[in-house]
Amino acid sequence: MSVLPRLPLTVIGGYLGAGKTTLLNRLLSEPHGQKIMVMVNDFGAINIDAALIAQADGDTISLTNGCVCCTMGNDLFMALGDALDRRPRPDHLVIEASGIADPAKIAMAARAEPDMAYGGIAVVVDGQNWPKLADDPLIGAQMRGQVQVADVLLVSKTGGMVPPSLAVRLAALSRAPLMDLADLPQVAPVLLGGVAPAPQPGALPGGMAAHPAYVGWSHQGAEQFERRTLEALLAARPAGIYRLKGHVLSPDGALEVHVVGPTVDIKPAQSDSTRMVAIGLASQINRETIAAWWASAAA
Amino acid sequence: MAPITVFQARKIITMDPNCPEATHVAVRDGRILAVGGAGCADQWGDVVHDHSLADAVLMPGMVEGHAHMMAGAMWKFAYAGFHDRMDPQGKWWRGKPDIATVVRDLTDYAQSLPEDQPLIGWGLDPIFFTGERLSRAHLDQISTTRPIAIMFSNFHLMCVNSAALAQAGYDHATNVEGVVKGPDGAPTGELQEMAAMFPVMRRLGMDFRGLSQTEAAIESYGAVCMRAGVTTVTDLYSQMEDADLAILRQVTARASYPTRLVPVLGVAGADPETAAARAQALARQGTDKLRLGAVKLMTDGSIQGWTARVKWPGYVGGQPNGIWNMAPDEIRRMVATMQAAGVQMHIHVNGDEASEVAIDAIEQAARHSPWPGARHVLQHCQMMGPDQFARCAELGICTNIFANHIWYFGDQHAALTIGEDRAKRMDALRAALDAGVHAAIHSDAPVTPLGPLFTAWCAVNRQTMSGRVLGGAQCVSVAEALHAITLGAAYTLKMDGEVGSIEAGKFADFAILGEDPLAVPAQALKDVPVLGTVLAGQVHLA
Repeated sequence: MSVLPRLPLTVIGGYLGAGKTTLLNRLLSEPHGQKIMVMVNDFGAINIDAALIAQADGDTISLTNGCVCCTMGNDLFMALGDALDRRPRPDHLVIEASGIADPAKIAMAARAEPDMAYGGIAVVVDGQNWPKLADDPLIGAQMRGQVQVADVLLVSKTGGMVPPSLAVRLAALSRAPLMDLADLPQVAPVLLGGVAPAPQPGALPGGMAAHPAYVGWSHQGAEQFERRTLEALLAARPAGIYRLKGHVLSPDGALEVHVVGPTVDIKPAQSDSTRMVAIGLASQINRETIAAWWASAAA
Repeated sequence: MAPITVFQARKIITMDPNCPEATHVAVRDGRILAVGGAGCADQWGDVVHDHSLADAVLMPGMVEGHAHMMAGAMWKFAYAGFHDRMDPQGKWWRGKPDIATVVRDLTDYAQSLPEDQPLIGWGLDPIFFTGERLSRAHLDQISTTRPIAIMFSNFHLMCVNSAALAQAGYDHATNVEGVVKGPDGAPTGELQEMAAMFPVMRRLGMDFRGLSQTEAAIESYGAVCMRAGVTTVTDLYSQMEDADLAILRQVTARASYPTRLVPVLGVAGADPETAAARAQALARQGTDKLRLGAVKLMTDGSIQGWTARVKWPGYVGGQPNGIWNMAPDEIRRMVATMQAAGVQMHIHVNGDEASEVAIDAIEQAARHSPWPGARHVLQHCQMMGPDQFARCAELGICTNIFANHIWYFGDQHAALTIGEDRAKRMDALRAALDAGVHAAIHSDAPVTPLGPLFTAWCAVNRQTMSGRVLGGAQCVSVAEALHAITLGAAYTLKMDGEVGSIEAGKFADFAILGEDPLAVPAQALKDVPVLGTVLAGQVHLA
């Protein structure tokens, strides 16, 4: 067991021009209070507010808010190793997958690597062009594949509403929550979930719960679950939770839980209490529903 | 005046139609001064005769247009492959035809390692094993305490022992795609794809980048080339940071370094404008022994991994069509930008749909930015037919064909991937030459071993591992194959004015052979002994 907290990894997928870079620019400038490391193929389209840049050298741009943006070079996994070895270790790693890439091939490393935590796959879907891309004889299968592996689908360029026909097609491929990027007041809660070493009961870290669009729930207790029981409980979680994370006591030692959209990841951990936080959209879920679900299991 | 050395040989195959055969070649300042008989350079002044190669046959130093530098440094790990293979020091390592031999040989190898060092192997290809699959149970027979990881020859899979699984934290509870589990719910030891391999590689110190950017890696690549008779070699997807360039320049500048190196900058995923500027900046930093400035693009995957993009009727097993590593849109944009910037491209294309997209992209770019001398090179070209070769001829595109596949994977292609009809016409050097395309053939080392004479043998005989001839209509003559591994490949690197034939003015780069490849039976071409090379007039003996 490593002494350092695990490095959570979120992968941003989506085709060229879908809006991945716009999303990253938004993330870097939001007041999330985290030291994020963003890895991109190249800085080409990254357009960080000059006032935010503390230092720029070659393949790394350091921001005044403690975040860094760097290019990953040709070997993504070497870059992943470098990020893990970086001291101080970033609070969260965000990787922008290339337009055609299968983001799951990158994100799976976070489930495999003991020093990383699963932060999920957010796929940006071009609200105007996606249906055409998805039917393209050359790249259609890979476009649909990105949606199939997504934990969160973020639709861009909707002009105010996700077209119902698009929503139907996406829903047929994926159980991931679907959000209109234009509706999201902040993207950090969706991409990062708000991470803090020790969440305070009743409050979400980073002040994110303050925003009325999001619902936050947190819980601290001493309850224990067998791993199988926990898995069953998580499988029965209320719809509308798009992130859930924390530590759970278990007879064989504590477990660390990361749930993003449809994906559940569980790893061994060290903890002296059960502590969970959940986030959802206020339009889809409320705190009481989450609390009732957890209480039913603890009872 | 610099001294003139006249090398005598049993026979010199020049590849120069003006003087196809000779017995002597005169060298001054590292270049060929004259070719012919003993007195060929007398008009140039006093000469010194060198008879040390008098019993050997010389041919132009061979040119490998598609290989990777890790072909040298892989040997710091244990060889676990199916075929006999020679290391950079010239030692032959026995092939391992079954799992029992893998276990036995690696057990011996482990004796040579310090107690605390992991055992890392490479080159294993289970496609050649029948029956049982390699698992941790086999590797645990070698050691239960020392971590062991065996990388498969395709670099997409590995097998590890229980100690390595424990280090990576893989057990019953692990639920990770790529961590293969047995019927008992425990990991079998087989790990598929990078994400699942990453935790093991990180903990065992398997650094593939270090296999191509260190001084030792560059040196051992040179040694591998020398033993194969290769005097000009590519590193066809180089990362090349500034620090790497300094090391490359330093090592290749040594007179003892036996090879001209052509690193080609990998640009998949990069911003086209930035990548083009980087390539142009690199081009200005080349030397006689380090050629820079070209770029490598990816398109699809591999045929034997069912990831190549193939046209109708697809794969015989009904596998879905392959994957793009660069989207066709990205390929088109990159090609257009490189063409406009005057940067030569090497484009990976295995399946025929990928080669079609690449040809279309170049045709489109050429309308906007005409560049008759571009000599862009399609690499692998495994499923290209006469129609695509004709278009390459029209557009001045070169093709570097993966001839070694015929022997190594030809049977599998016929039975398992693209089926009999298309397997017979794959890696079609005959069709390329008939269409008037400038063509080379290659090994893609370390995917298959570096050895242009073997590669030429494949193109001449088209024999598979089972012994059948796969598509006899595509066989070429020995002379055509020798051209492909010398001048043909030199042309694709825009070095045909400097290397690839033995004629006045070119670099004095020769392969030293024990037999005459034009005189031995075509079936014996691969067995012609390589005794070493001459680079810029300096002899390097194996």
